[in-house]
Amino acid sequence: MTFMQELTKGLVKENPIFVIVLGICPTLAVTTSVNNAIGMGLAATFVLICSNTIISLIKNITPPKIRIPVYIVVIASFVSIVDMAMAAYVPALHKSLGIFIPLIVVNCIILGRAEAFASKNNTLTSIADGIGMGLGFTLSLVIVATIRELLGSGTWLGIKIMPVTYDPMLVAILAPGAFITLGFLMAGMQMLKNRRGK
Amino acid sequence: MGYLGKLFFMAMTAVFINNYVLSRFLGLCPYLGVSKKLDSAFGMGMAVIFVMTMASAFTYLIHTYLLIPYGLQYLQTIAFILTIAALVQFVEMVIQKNAPSLYKALGVYLPLITTNCAVLGVAILNTKATWPDGSAYNFLDAVLNGFLSGIGFTLVLLLMAGIRERLEYADLPRSMKGMPIGLILAGIMALAFYGFMGFKI
Amino acid sequence: MKYILQLGLILLIFCAVASGVLAFVNSKTQPVISARKLLEEEQTRKALLPAATAFEMNKAAADSNFVYYAAKDSTGKVIGYAFIAEKGGYNSVVKSMVALDPEYKIISMKVIDQNETPGLGSNCTRDDFAPQFAKLGFEDLLVDKDGGPVKSLTGATITTRAITNSIREAMILLMNDIKEKQNQGGGK
Repeated sequence: MTFMQELTKGLVKENPIFVIVLGICPTLAVTTSVNNAIGMGLAATFVLICSNTIISLIKNITPPKIRIPVYIVVIASFVSIVDMAMAAYVPALHKSLGIFIPLIVVNCIILGRAEAFASKNNTLTSIADGIGMGLGFTLSLVIVATIRELLGSGTWLGIKIMPVTYDPMLVAILAPGAFITLGFLMAGMQMLKNRRGK
Repeated sequence: MGYLGKLFFMAMTAVFINNYVLSRFLGLCPYLGVSKKLDSAFGMGMAVIFVMTMASAFTYLIHTYLLIPYGLQYLQTIAFILTIAALVQFVEMVIQKNAPSLYKALGVYLPLITTNCAVLGVAILNTKATWPDGSAYNFLDAVLNGFLSGIGFTLVLLLMAGIRERLEYADLPRSMKGMPIGLILAGIMALAFYGFMGFKI
Repeated sequence: MKYILQLGLILLIFCAVASGVLAFVNSKTQPVISARKLLEEEQTRKALLPAATAFEMNKAAADSNFVYYAAKDSTGKVIGYAFIAEKGGYNSVVKSMVALDPEYKIISMKVIDQNETPGLGSNCTRDDFAPQFAKLGFEDLLVDKDGGPVKSLTGATITTRAITNSIREAMILLMNDIKEKQNQGGGK
């Protein structure tokens, strides 16, 4: 695959959330506002790109038997770096995302890409894969967050969009709303896939 | 509150009010993947309860006696996840030797417990948790919390599996089958569990 | 056996390198985090007691974890006190900064840290919640469900009670400590 193809496959064809169905936990938890979604998406993308890069670079000196613990150490290190940097420079976002920042380390997307791709491909394509998957993840988070924030708070990125008479549907930004929103979005994706399959 | 009262409070919170799956959004991957059949859901649930309890114990000890005294809190993520990975590896070896049928049934989902957000989640939450009077969790509190949160996870897993087994016979639109209806089901259950939030203990 | 030791050693090396990198990042970010926290608290204190030119820190003798500030104006007269009250709420520890006048009645308060339920407990940060605390003394600090004047947030009695009780307890600590220090000062 060309560099551009690697880059864009994460957006639709191999979209991590809607197609491969990974990383659902943060998807439901942080999409209460578009701001949080973007923050989490970028943080995860940063970790993904960095870990893909390092893992691809060290793939030849990593003994296969301990490769999973090694990947975990690499990913956990970058997650810790992101955690500290966010606590220092964007404290409000750091507090909103809370426990889900360290949980990036168990985000199946990152470990999944490390094992499935970065350990088997050269560094440049691994970086492209990281960027593509990360952007796809971020984009999907933003889509879910847009729906939930518009319905649940009447705002988008904090700006009031819905008319004043709109009484916010609080459930959209609470747990049940998260599940149901994602469920319908997935059904929609499934419908598109079926149509295309015909 | 007496100690029994504290225990009840913790159990109610971990299992119902702040259920790990339906309220905290932790442990969702296995939840959506394994919950299709009751017996594999049960096996997974048992394994998760065990890992969560042991992980709570070990990570609490590491946090209290290694990370804090030496000011190494920034190594928490690495230390915790490596501990959990080692624990899961150990559990895998034990199950493989003593219950090979369960090992086969759980398949790839057993090593995936390492990436189960609920396990790392409860480990981290134990270090941040406080009782209503502001005091932190001690070792016993942490281990119990891990155990009870695991029970909450398993409870929801079993409920889901039971319902989804029945759903196999329902006439669903094609695009809803599988993941979408599973999520909507989880949403309705979350709505039901939300009723627990009003409880004053 | 030797192979396993070798593997273990390699893993250890990776961990050591990772720890080194993290220690470096930590040394750079930790001071930023602590400095920002102190700055934020100072700014909140100034916002609640704008007439103060200096804040003098005091540690309570009864509980060394409790710190309060005596606000002094340019003549050195005490024009009020500021402190942080905290208690476990529903989901998280709720921290409020409170400003008192010299007669120990609340001037204003502001919830500065909470992670309560969105739409319910988290409404304690809304502008219409804090004003009801004005002019209350410690004996008035009870939620309506406990017989006091503080109106609970809808569906968030636990959060409201945590805030109210934490402020009352802190005020009692503060008043006792000041009395202690005055007695000691007078006795000399």
